[in-house]
Amino acid sequence: MRPKHVMVDLKGQARSFFRVKSNLFWVFAFPLLLIIIFGAIFSNLGSEAVTLNVQNLDQGPGSQELLAALNETGMVKLKFISPSADLEQYIKDNSLAHVMVIPANYSSNLASNLTAPIELRLDETVSTSGAVFNAVNGVVNAFNLRMAGGEQHVQIEMGSIVQERFTFLDFFVPGIIGLTIMTTCVFNVQGTISRYRANGIFRKLATTPMTPFEWLLSRILWHLFISFLTLAVIMGFGVLIFGMNMSVNLVVVLMIVAGSAMFSALGMIIARFVKNEETASMAANAITFPMMFLSGTFFQLEMMPSYLQQIAAVLPLTYMSQGLRDAMVYDNLAGAYFNLAVVAVIGVMFVIVAVLITKWEEE
Amino acid sequence: METVIEVRNLVKRYGDLVAVNGIDLEVKAGEVYSILGPNGAGKTTSVEIMECLRIKTSGEVRILGHDIEKGQRDIRKRIGVLPQSFNAFDYLTVKENIEYFGGLFDKGVAAEDLIEAVQLQDKRNVWFTNLSGGLKQRVGVAIAMVNDPDLIFLDEPTTGLDPKARREVWEIIRKLKSQNKTVILTTHYMEEAEVLSDRVAIMNDGKFIAMGTPKQIIEQYGSGSTCVVKGANPAAAEAVRSAGMTLEARDGDLMVKLDNKGSLPRLVGLLSGSEVTYDEVLIKGSTLEDVFLKLTGKKLAEAEQ
Repeated sequence: MRPKHVMVDLKGQARSFFRVKSNLFWVFAFPLLLIIIFGAIFSNLGSEAVTLNVQNLDQGPGSQELLAALNETGMVKLKFISPSADLEQYIKDNSLAHVMVIPANYSSNLASNLTAPIELRLDETVSTSGAVFNAVNGVVNAFNLRMAGGEQHVQIEMGSIVQERFTFLDFFVPGIIGLTIMTTCVFNVQGTISRYRANGIFRKLATTPMTPFEWLLSRILWHLFISFLTLAVIMGFGVLIFGMNMSVNLVVVLMIVAGSAMFSALGMIIARFVKNEETASMAANAITFPMMFLSGTFFQLEMMPSYLQQIAAVLPLTYMSQGLRDAMVYDNLAGAYFNLAVVAVIGVMFVIVAVLITKWEEE
Repeated sequence: METVIEVRNLVKRYGDLVAVNGIDLEVKAGEVYSILGPNGAGKTTSVEIMECLRIKTSGEVRILGHDIEKGQRDIRKRIGVLPQSFNAFDYLTVKENIEYFGGLFDKGVAAEDLIEAVQLQDKRNVWFTNLSGGLKQRVGVAIAMVNDPDLIFLDEPTTGLDPKARREVWEIIRKLKSQNKTVILTTHYMEEAEVLSDRVAIMNDGKFIAMGTPKQIIEQYGSGSTCVVKGANPAAAEAVRSAGMTLEARDGDLMVKLDNKGSLPRLVGLLSGSEVTYDEVLIKGSTLEDVFLKLTGKKLAEAEQ
């Protein structure tokens, strides 16, 4: 092994990389855009009140008290439908998802200690329907408890699993770091190998004293450097713009080393088996695209059906994203070490396979 | 003179396909040796075995005195290669590309000297991707010379270039010869081989079908000189035919074979007849293209299809 050969190739890569503007976009700007867009979407989820359309046919004190209580929850924003409106037509015309109807005799029934039903109509295909049901159900239960003269013996004390100093964005960013490292390493390595093969660069390198191992080592070191640069840019952006508070420790560093090697080697393996430049790019997409969505980068794994969770369990990005979260957000060192061990083992296996199958000479 | 390439009964098989079928070759130091043939003839496969890029099925190959299997490390230090369809790193400059490959060898030629040798002084800081095809090939030749090799392989260095760019590459190859470098040139351009080479091997279907200097091959396998009578009228054709001379009518021209010294004066006499008219008369010698046609029964372009 000649370090000089590795240095020559690293220097060449650095020059080429920073001269291609699209590289800078995909490696640095694109993850920041993802953070801004998804951060905005997910940070506000649940904090905005959901509109509940109400047709109040009662107008008595009982219905006024119910509506006031609903308003106070802050979970719903009441919007009133005229009592004279044709409700069915109104729902169709306005594509309503949540409607509550208070019948005409609601207050008088309550005053007479009779059952006083209210009608709640929800579109179950809309994700906010659950929040509306919870708000209405909570208020109704509280009313019933009070009328029955009961006491609330069992009470809920709310607390956050995530340490209070962290925001949703702090939780989201480790997944983006993992995703960016995966796409950068897989696509750059696969693209480079396909291009070098088509351009005769491998045939040329094979006639020089440089060995395939030296070349592979240089490529892995380069992507390691880019991965740390990505980490620094994303974290710097988060701290300066969003005031995030994230920790980088040895496990994070080791996870990035192992992840970069693992995904660089994966790119080499793809390029070895799929030799056509365009087909290799499609193969890389076919492998990374499902990982992007199934590995808990954008959504928590618990939100997915169990069969998708089983698929996620065999995807390497799952362990990288979760490991980075454990180390950077949850302070869960046991989880971080476990995920690091999984990524390291897969990484070593991939690198060994890549070294064994990467050849410059033709058969 | 030192023998730099010795090939004996070289065979390369891919399953049932025999790409190289028992070729022998000997190249002396300082020669420009062309391997000529249509696409798929086996030229690149043969040369890539000599470059340590492919593994032979059988036969013996010695490069610069080293066995091709045992002495690869020593061979690589002393050969320069311009692979077929080579494109260097797009976003490195001419100089940076030369320095990259030069940096992989322990000793070599300074980048500036190579830039001067291929006359790219005003392009030294231009990215490779922004160069024309001809200039890119000149960079490729410079890269092939970074380690000051004794033996240089140029695999189809002018394919796809326009005539002007092709001639510029020819000049570089002539310059290499003047520096006493041994050059192995593969090409499917007969004219290129004829103009540049000391010796030529014509390859078809994995075999050498003719070898020697272009002159020797043409003398041995060519069909002599031909007189082309352009725009000849029917009376001219009739006069030549009735005199018993061998001729072929092609696109309104008469191709009259000059079998011996007396053929030309005789033809001139026939063409001076009162009813004979024509536009112009040319004398054309046999070419390697004619040799290929004679040996294979097909034109080079047909053989490539």
